Amino acid sequence: MDIVDLIQEKRFIGQEFLAWLWFKSEERGGSVELPGIGDITVIFEKHMLLEYGEGDSNEKVICRGLQTELREAKTGLTLGKKPEQARIMFIKGDYEFGVTLAAGLLEFRNVRLPKTVDAADESDDPEAVEGRILERIALFEELSKLVNNLFRMFLEIRTGDQWSSELTKIQKWSARSVDA
Amino acid sequence: MVVFFQVIDVIYEVINYMGLLNGSASFMRFTVEGGPLPQPFWDWAAEKISAHSFRDIDDSLDEYSIGWVSVKNMFDSDFAYASYAAGDYIVLSMRVDERKVSSAVLKKVVAKEEERVKLEKEIPKLSRSMRLEIKERIRTQLLRKSVPIPAVYDLCWNLSDNTVLLFSTGKKAMTQVEELFKDTFDLSLVLQVPFLVAGRLLGPEKEDRLDNLKPSVLV
Repeated sequence: MDIVDLIQEKRFIGQEFLAWLWFKSEERGGSVELPGIGDITVIFEKHMLLEYGEGDSNEKVICRGLQTELREAKTGLTLGKKPEQARIMFIKGDYEFGVTLAAGLLEFRNVRLPKTVDAADESDDPEAVEGRILERIALFEELSKLVNNLFRMFLEIRTGDQWSSELTKIQKWSARSVDA
Repeated sequence: MVVFFQVIDVIYEVINYMGLLNGSASFMRFTVEGGPLPQPFWDWAAEKISAHSFRDIDDSLDEYSIGWVSVKNMFDSDFAYASYAAGDYIVLSMRVDERKVSSAVLKKVVAKEEERVKLEKEIPKLSRSMRLEIKERIRTQLLRKSVPIPAVYDLCWNLSDNTVLLFSTGKKAMTQVEELFKDTFDLSLVLQVPFLVAGRLLGPEKEDRLDNLKPSVLV
């Protein structure tokens, strides 16, 4: 299949991943247990873009608000809209990452990396520059792997027999969040 | 005045640089297809990168230039200040310089020139071919006066797992880097959209299940 068709036809995988991750982040108060890694914190914050329909009938809703529960976004979810972009904070150990994940192409936007000691060294010495580059790359890759691990967890459920029960939980969660 | 605003644009682009080295960053993920990598790898890479390093067009009349520069310094296409080799990674910046003429400026100067020619030749109206000739001549003159506008995009190639992070989410930059990477290394970059990432994460045994997935209703 051509990559353009693939992106369009399978767009729902990224969108459902974001919706599932949002549900998962609230299921245990922000704590998500990654198999083989342990608990990490996942917080959906202040910005979400939802989409509904395709082509001419495509609708978009942007929901913003610092420290809100994104109630309007959840209402959108119950109206059949799917998340297309979400601002998420991931905390793993001492590291805190901020990223806007875009579902269609799985783009990582406006990534905020954890503050580290080496980053403060502004020296132009080639070794210091290489050290800074390698450290930044390691952190970008750490975030990329973290998202991959969460995506794998979602895919195992999504392609497995557990999906129907997980879907029921997601439906109840979104309905309950709006009623509350 | 046009040149002034172009210089401001250049400064703005440089000041607002955010990518691999500092600030917050946006990136897309790719796999590198078409190996195996030639050996000795670093000699081969040095030759290829040098052959496709950025060539400055400030002192020429060229409209467009694209090539590799150091991530540390966009003026360093010899990698004198920072090597592109960092551990098991190749880190490069793709620099694209392009001369542009704004359509409003072109329209204004062409109209002025058309009036001048009409007066000079004492004719009430210009033929279509004359108007085309004036437009093309003015466009070339304005392009020659304009400062090339640079854009810089960082890239990091992980050689151990053959993946690339491109520090931009722009579609134009993506197409340009795919072409430059192919021209340089004769290798293809494949954007890791969710479905392809899913295939890699789940492995071939779950390929059928993944292929047959249909959208779920979340309400």
